[in-house]
Amino acid sequence: MAVSETYTDPTTDQNGSGGPVIVATGVEKWYGAFHVLKGVDLTVNKGEVVVVMGPSGSGKSTFIRTFNALETYQKGSIVIDGVKISHDLKDIESIRREVGMVFQQFNLFPHLTVLKNVTLAPIWVRRWAKAKAEEEAMRLLERVGILEQAKKYPGQLSGGQQQRVAIARALAMKPKVMLFDEPTSALDPEMVREVLDVMRGLADEGMTMVVVTHEVGFAREVADRVVLMDSGVLVEDAKPEAFFNNPQEERSKKFLSQIL
Amino acid sequence: MTTATPEKVSKAPPKSPQSGPVEWLRENLFNSWFNGLLTVVVGVILIASAWGLISWAFTTAQWRVVPNNLGLFMTGLYPREMYWRMWALFGMVLTLSGVSWGVLTRSSAKLLTRSMLIILGVLVALIVVIPAVTGSEEGPGLLTPLSASILVALTAITVAAAFVGRAVTQKSPGLAQWLPLAWFLSYIAALWLLGGGLGIESVRSNDWGGLVLTLILAVTGIALCFPIGVTLALGRRSELPIVRWLSVAYIELVRGTPLIAILFMGQVMIPLFLPEGARPDRIIRAIIALTIFSSAYLAENVRAGLQAVPTGQTEASISLGLNKPLTVAFIVLPQALKTAIPAVVGQFISLFQDTTLLATLGLIELLGISNSVLANPSYLGRYMEVYLFIGVIYWFFCYAMSLGSRRIEEQLNTGH
Repeated sequence: MAVSETYTDPTTDQNGSGGPVIVATGVEKWYGAFHVLKGVDLTVNKGEVVVVMGPSGSGKSTFIRTFNALETYQKGSIVIDGVKISHDLKDIESIRREVGMVFQQFNLFPHLTVLKNVTLAPIWVRRWAKAKAEEEAMRLLERVGILEQAKKYPGQLSGGQQQRVAIARALAMKPKVMLFDEPTSALDPEMVREVLDVMRGLADEGMTMVVVTHEVGFAREVADRVVLMDSGVLVEDAKPEAFFNNPQEERSKKFLSQIL
Repeated sequence: MTTATPEKVSKAPPKSPQSGPVEWLRENLFNSWFNGLLTVVVGVILIASAWGLISWAFTTAQWRVVPNNLGLFMTGLYPREMYWRMWALFGMVLTLSGVSWGVLTRSSAKLLTRSMLIILGVLVALIVVIPAVTGSEEGPGLLTPLSASILVALTAITVAAAFVGRAVTQKSPGLAQWLPLAWFLSYIAALWLLGGGLGIESVRSNDWGGLVLTLILAVTGIALCFPIGVTLALGRRSELPIVRWLSVAYIELVRGTPLIAILFMGQVMIPLFLPEGARPDRIIRAIIALTIFSSAYLAENVRAGLQAVPTGQTEASISLGLNKPLTVAFIVLPQALKTAIPAVVGQFISLFQDTTLLATLGLIELLGISNSVLANPSYLGRYMEVYLFIGVIYWFFCYAMSLGSRRIEEQLNTGH
């Protein structure tokens, strides 16, 4: 896997298996009486791309949303880049600065131009000068292929374009990990590809990524590992070839038979 | 902002072959026998009532009461020899309005559209013609020749100010952000011109009155109730229980009380609690009461706007590392206020009209001074004329606010 200088820490080795960035141990969560996460373990190493699959309602979105404290958890522990997610707001905010997130519904800020969507956080959180933030934003927008739309508002863009802006917005903070929560599920079929291509490019550059998706092709080609969640339990954790061609667990076989 | 519609591709739909006035009438008013009948009946009623009003206005009505008391209607008991201060105030507001207009339209093709030019022309013509037509041996006209010439001059200054504001901000757009500060300073200057002190003779607030007092009450009330209302709305959604309970208690308590009761409390009861020297001026008490009342309603309007902002917006913002205050300031509030504009401006219009209740408490704002004029034996029974006159004035300001709100909404529309 090609690794660019941009996202690699010089202290780790260059083959995409540096130290762990996400360590989740025995994570449990209840919504009232409903047990959503029943003790999930997952470790994501630097430069790894982990695809999370599973039927809807299996808790996979909830699980990755605990990584940047959009969801709380009641038991277990989650350590992001050496910082444990607790109730300390300072810790949570410092973790969120390092974890980029892309949502199913894009969630761009409709009252701000594309450029302002991308520069807002670098200017106000990273305290960059406006000129530097805009320069970096233009570079990112060019990379995701929407440079010429920089002055437009999100409402004037197609879904695929909006999602690519959302990716650029998250990248502008120079995160150590990127979380993708079903990034292509709200898109028209012809726009799925343009978003997946951007994500593929990111993976090739060595970005650490956790992706909740139903895109089997993407999982096969890009993922280092595929994990299957069902009813709040992590059922299987395997290399993509092994997962798709030779699943070990009964529930994985059943799930794959439904989607393939 | 501009829309994304590719204008070259989508052509306007072909016009229907017949689109003359007769066709329009047939299509819209007489397209079936029943609608035709309705048109005739409603038309007869409308014409009959309009005829009644017009014939009354030109034959029975005695309009002398308006020009003879114009000074009272506009400024109440303000000393005549200091009317120049009111003119200066008016001129300042007009000039600043002109500049603002120029600044706000700096990116549109033309400063004055054709319809606005026509309105402007009619306005100037009226100002010139009115003194000649309405003046008679009974007394001065609606405008003295002097006031008419001042008005024409002010109109010219306003238009010039608009051109200057437009030209200057086209060159250096950064200056546009000083506009709110300019308005704030002009508000201070207005109070100074009105009340005096600092080098000019002071005028007791008891002598403030008429339209000027109405506008001071409304503008101050609006300027104060907006930030308080927004704070209460945010407080009601706060995660801190004490803040939330206090906000809810305030909002529900005030909304459960009639405005007139709050105004009475302000005018009659507050002085009972406070020692002689510490009693605030009764205009200030009135403003406090209006603000207390309106901010509770405004808070609910803003809360509705806050609830309309999807949670995904907050999630996206905090997942970028922005803290709660920044998220509220940059992401949630701008969208919430945009949604809430029609309701909020509606509340401003209510507040403006609610100032009339202060007439019952002895303040001589526009309605109060009108009642005083009507109590003058020379103008006994001139109710219709006076109330119609001030009704038109109230309508003018309310309609201006509602037009302004629509304009802001259009400007903020960033959708498809």
